[in-house]
Amino acid sequence: MTIVLGNYSLCAAVVVAMVAVLVSLAAVLSESTAIRRAARWCIYLMAMLLTISSAALMKAMLDSDFRLKYVADYTERALPIGYKLAAFWAGQQGSLLLWGWLLAVMSVVFAFQHRKRQGPEHDVALATLAVVIGFFAALMVFADPANPFLPNPEAVADGHGLNPLLQDPGMIAHPPTLFVGYAGFTIPFALLIGALITGRLGSDWVAWSRPWALISWLFLGVGIVLGAQWAYVELGWGGYWAWDPVENASLLPWLTATALLHSIVGQRQRGVLKRWTAVLTAGTFILCIFGTYITRSGVVASVHSFGKSPVGTFFQAFLILIVLLSLILMLCRWRALRSERPLESAISRESAFLAGNVLFVLMMLLTLFGTMFPAISPTLSKLPLLRNLFIVQGQSMTLEQPFYNRYVLPPALLAVAIMGFAPLLGYGRMAINSQKLVLSLALPVVLAFVAIGVLLAMGVYSAWALACAVVGAVVVGSIVVDLVRNTRTRQQNTGENAIRSALKLVLGSHQRYGAQLAHAGMMMIVAGIAGSSLYNTSKTLMLKPGASEQVGRYTIRLDGIGQVRGENYTGLEAKVTMTAPSGTHYKLFPQGRMYNKWEQPSSEVAIQTNWREDLYVTFAGAEPDFSVIALKVLVNPLVWWIWAGGIVVTLGGVVCLVPRFARRAVVIETPQPVLAAKSVAVRRVAAGTAR
Amino acid sequence: MKRKTIKFICGGLILVLAVGYLAYAGLKDGWVSYHLQVDEYLSNTKFYSQRVRLCGKVAEDGLVANPGLLSAKFGLVGQTQRIPIAYSGVVPDLFKAGCEVIVEGRRDAAGVFQADVMMTKCASKYDSAEHKKKPEKSS
Repeated sequence: MTIVLGNYSLCAAVVVAMVAVLVSLAAVLSESTAIRRAARWCIYLMAMLLTISSAALMKAMLDSDFRLKYVADYTERALPIGYKLAAFWAGQQGSLLLWGWLLAVMSVVFAFQHRKRQGPEHDVALATLAVVIGFFAALMVFADPANPFLPNPEAVADGHGLNPLLQDPGMIAHPPTLFVGYAGFTIPFALLIGALITGRLGSDWVAWSRPWALISWLFLGVGIVLGAQWAYVELGWGGYWAWDPVENASLLPWLTATALLHSIVGQRQRGVLKRWTAVLTAGTFILCIFGTYITRSGVVASVHSFGKSPVGTFFQAFLILIVLLSLILMLCRWRALRSERPLESAISRESAFLAGNVLFVLMMLLTLFGTMFPAISPTLSKLPLLRNLFIVQGQSMTLEQPFYNRYVLPPALLAVAIMGFAPLLGYGRMAINSQKLVLSLALPVVLAFVAIGVLLAMGVYSAWALACAVVGAVVVGSIVVDLVRNTRTRQQNTGENAIRSALKLVLGSHQRYGAQLAHAGMMMIVAGIAGSSLYNTSKTLMLKPGASEQVGRYTIRLDGIGQVRGENYTGLEAKVTMTAPSGTHYKLFPQGRMYNKWEQPSSEVAIQTNWREDLYVTFAGAEPDFSVIALKVLVNPLVWWIWAGGIVVTLGGVVCLVPRFARRAVVIETPQPVLAAKSVAVRRVAAGTAR
Repeated sequence: MKRKTIKFICGGLILVLAVGYLAYAGLKDGWVSYHLQVDEYLSNTKFYSQRVRLCGKVAEDGLVANPGLLSAKFGLVGQTQRIPIAYSGVVPDLFKAGCEVIVEGRRDAAGVFQADVMMTKCASKYDSAEHKKKPEKSS
């Protein structure tokens, strides 16, 4: 029953998607309200059908219905219920369904939000959404192994179980969060296509797509951080980022999306960077599909990717289609996409946005080059000029981490530095008019020198660490200066006391200060990355019970070995005590587990974390008689700041999402139009948002 | 308009040069990793003096793994030939006879390949690649 229901609603979704495209296009031509409504209802229906499919798969998972191959492949009866649900997206088929379903749900919200709006661009946007949802539904129906409802050829009593590595709370949250981000960027893309086809390239489509871009960016970012944390606590090598192709796949759209958010600000505030906004909107969506493609088709080998399958061909065709469509439409409208005014000054906030965009796109291209290197190197190594550079020809090769560290990190640090200065700059020519700028730069510069001094005194000489400290001081200093300066201005205008003034300032232009909060969070992440990658200590030890050894400042002692037993595993546990020079003891219990359904052992890391550093111990192996235990011990400074920074960036993004209620309220409360305008102007000055 | 065209050409040229340089620098500094098959390695003595990555299957016989002592000795087999490997480092969870591994190291005078990095490539019991473990690097 479940199989049939799930399958049929998938097929029906494909049909409805085609109908939706036709009806939406008919609505463009006829401009009839009734047809427009029908198009909307097609989207609702499609979402309903995909919801039925997803619910059917979910139910099969919970019921351990092993007649479904997918259920048998990824779950077992003894699996805890949370992981049974998470197994929904453990495989290729389920993830595709999740992608399609999430997009369908978001499309419903979008269609409902725009139900009262007339205009052909909405119909084209709906048609675009229907095409993308239809693509995912068709993929599952026609690219045979991609269907999650394939029957199991053999009758089995129990399933294979979920990979132990995926049995981690991070696994429940990481993939769906990332997928919300991936799927969400379809909506700005749909609005862009609507605007390009109808030629309505004013500020409306950007205003509508901003919240969607922001929400998707947030989810993508949170998904990336969750993935990094999952890798950190589960994979046992002590790091959180390995420049793995699939990690890169999620980073690529995040980079362009970050640039996109800033271009949107530029376009809305000054009418500049319009082409950037359009290109970045299309680029981000294309990279989201590309990311799904390399994750889900096996073109580049990675932890997450699946074996080669016909799904790849479908994705390639779809990618070519959307790239060509975006290119052709944008070239046709290239003139119309011209900015309303040129950049007036090289030192202004919009120029900073532009520089940021260039850097983000550069990072994206470098990461893309590295990610695709295994796919392009067989050809590269046969080219006449390059041939001699390669030791072997025609083989797939991988670019190692030093490549990314050398080439992607410097532009990243530069972008972060610009992030620090930019909020101090004004828009347009106003930016450089004054000694004010010099004055505001004083504190950041002084802070930077102090930071360098402190680090040198601490014996830190690494150029990277010093550069990060300078950038950090600039960012923090700028945020403080900006806040103080605007509070002062407001105080002079309103006569309020400092605290009240600062509070009202932040509440009055919360989007600006939300962005500042996100910037501060980014800086925390940079600090965490710098600290943990430059100053970690790692050692692999062989210890007999009762023996101890020195790792960095810590003494590590193996107290003993015990047995552990869980719902679906048994294992060994090393009882470890780490003693700091101060005499503080930390007890850690790394485990080596054997899961019932898996032949190989799987290690469970023990981590003791605080804001200064993480103690990280992995169970690396044991002799059969437990006479000697191998442990991998790491002391990782400042890792806590990465996770905390992730939370701060997210909070900042959420603050930016809150609509501007305050201004609207001002206009309503003043009856006379002239007075109203004046009042708005006064309040803007008071709020420090005047341009 | 003309100035703009020049700007674009300059920009494009810089981009192409930059990417070309990256590829070149990457190759020169050995950031590119590749692996040789066992037969390919044994048939060409020029590789003997270099530190390389070897890919092959762990032989079913003669496997001695001491995970607690951070070492393993085994034979790595290719299409037709076989080379003895002495590995020291963390033995990956997925390491076992019959599985495909990549080892990194150098051949010693006795003809034993001394490896200090090992990555398991093998799919475990089930064949979908999601079940694979991250190639575990240990040096």
